[in-house]
Amino acid sequence: MTGTPFSVTTRTTEAGAVVTVEGELDVATAPRLRAGIDTLVLRSGQRLVVDLAGVTFCDSSGISTLIAARNVAEAAGAGIALAAVPGRLRRTFGLIGLADFFPTYPSAEDAFGD
Amino acid sequence: MCEDHPGPGGQESAAPEFSALLEDSAEDLYEHAPCGYLSTLLDGTIAKINTTLLGWLGYEREDVVGRRRFAELLTVGGRIYHETHFAPLLRMQGELGGVAFELKAADGSRLPVLVTSTVKTGTDGQAQLIRTTIFDARDRRAYEQELLRAREEAERERDRVQRLARTLQQTLLPPALAEVPGVQVAAYYHPASADEVGGDFYDLFPLTGDTWGFFLGDVSGKGAAAAVVTSLARYTLRAAAVHDPDPATVLDRLNTVLHHEYRGSDPRYCTVVQGHLRPGGDGAAVTLATGGHPPALLIRADGTSAFVPVPGGQLVGALPRARFATADVLLHPGDTLLLYTDGLTEARTQGRDRYSEEQLQEYLADLAPTTAPAVITAVTGLLAGFGDGVEDDTALLALGIPLPGGDRP
Repeated sequence: MTGTPFSVTTRTTEAGAVVTVEGELDVATAPRLRAGIDTLVLRSGQRLVVDLAGVTFCDSSGISTLIAARNVAEAAGAGIALAAVPGRLRRTFGLIGLADFFPTYPSAEDAFGD
Repeated sequence: MCEDHPGPGGQESAAPEFSALLEDSAEDLYEHAPCGYLSTLLDGTIAKINTTLLGWLGYEREDVVGRRRFAELLTVGGRIYHETHFAPLLRMQGELGGVAFELKAADGSRLPVLVTSTVKTGTDGQAQLIRTTIFDARDRRAYEQELLRAREEAERERDRVQRLARTLQQTLLPPALAEVPGVQVAAYYHPASADEVGGDFYDLFPLTGDTWGFFLGDVSGKGAAAAVVTSLARYTLRAAAVHDPDPATVLDRLNTVLHHEYRGSDPRYCTVVQGHLRPGGDGAAVTLATGGHPPALLIRADGTSAFVPVPGGQLVGALPRARFATADVLLHPGDTLLLYTDGLTEARTQGRDRYSEEQLQEYLADLAPTTAPAVITAVTGLLAGFGDGVEDDTALLALGIPLPGGDRP
């Protein structure tokens, strides 16, 4: 359950940015995702995609950070999307109704597809 | 010495002045060295003592030389330590260094010192006398006391912070829950940290003649910033429930207030179960709305159990236009409804695995038919078993209808 060490990697594309998160996203690690997002420069019309495929756990701090990311993207006139949300997280996100505010795609590539 | 080893180049011309600054007499160095020198016979009788040490002690040379033993210059405790530890070790090892003692001066005052001794042996290898160097340790003692004071200060400060956190926490929890006729209520708050105020909260309060409102929730984050949100959430929920008791409407109000208050890059939100309770017949009717919160667990008298599904129910305060809906539950005698925060269902059990809602359901279903206090006691025991695995605060609120004829079946 805790096998994957936490990591955040970011890459930018023409269409926006992809932030890939791996490991447990909790009170200890959320600031690192936050820092990763703060380094991004988003332009109006772009899309910020958070790839969660490797995330094994996400607590309220992690959710706060995703909401902060959404606010950051909106402030720049960009959109946000989640990619590859694992089943365990999808249940939590469903419970708290995040899906309505985060378009969700099977993969980061799909997120830029439309 | 200087003549034998002249300094580098340009200093040679200054040699006469330079040498005047140097010790010209070993005797003077001995007498007025910045430390005490003492030579004793093997039985400790003082044979030789320097002026520096005599000055510290306030004795004349003839008071001590040949008349006193070194141990007699020490405090009572020091003397015992000297006889039982210092002297035997010195005899064994031939030298012993940096031992702290207190000297007793002629005027009765005490002087903290560090003592180093060596045994001087003759050419035949026989011990002849003991040479002792004594350093003034007043500065060091003062420094140690300063450290000790600083540590005590830090400990007091930590106590103060913990007391403050505890007090603040108490103001965020109701001192007592309202009594509801025919319904047993129990609650518990488990703080994960003594230093920080957690963000969990709950309350149960009268609305109108036959209706009671209740809520239980969890604000994102910890500490003072979260406590401010907790406080705002609490009184918004109470005020909104009085205005319109429909739980979905109450959560909608809270969403508007929080979202308006906390936007941008530091979003603050909470997850809440809001409900009202109307006793009637031999049970009570409960209406629940949840906002992003783990579902309430219903344990029926017959041993069946279920999480109460509430459709919709988004995080409260995070996002505009959140939607909330309600669900109704009828509590019959022997039924218990448990509300909890995710400190419980996200706790790490023995290894690193997180406890799950399913495990909680299984654990509590075995108690049926049960009561609100029994459920709280069981879950409190569960939390105690997790120990450090409980990383977040945990709040519990249980509502139950007692079976006729006693608390327990």
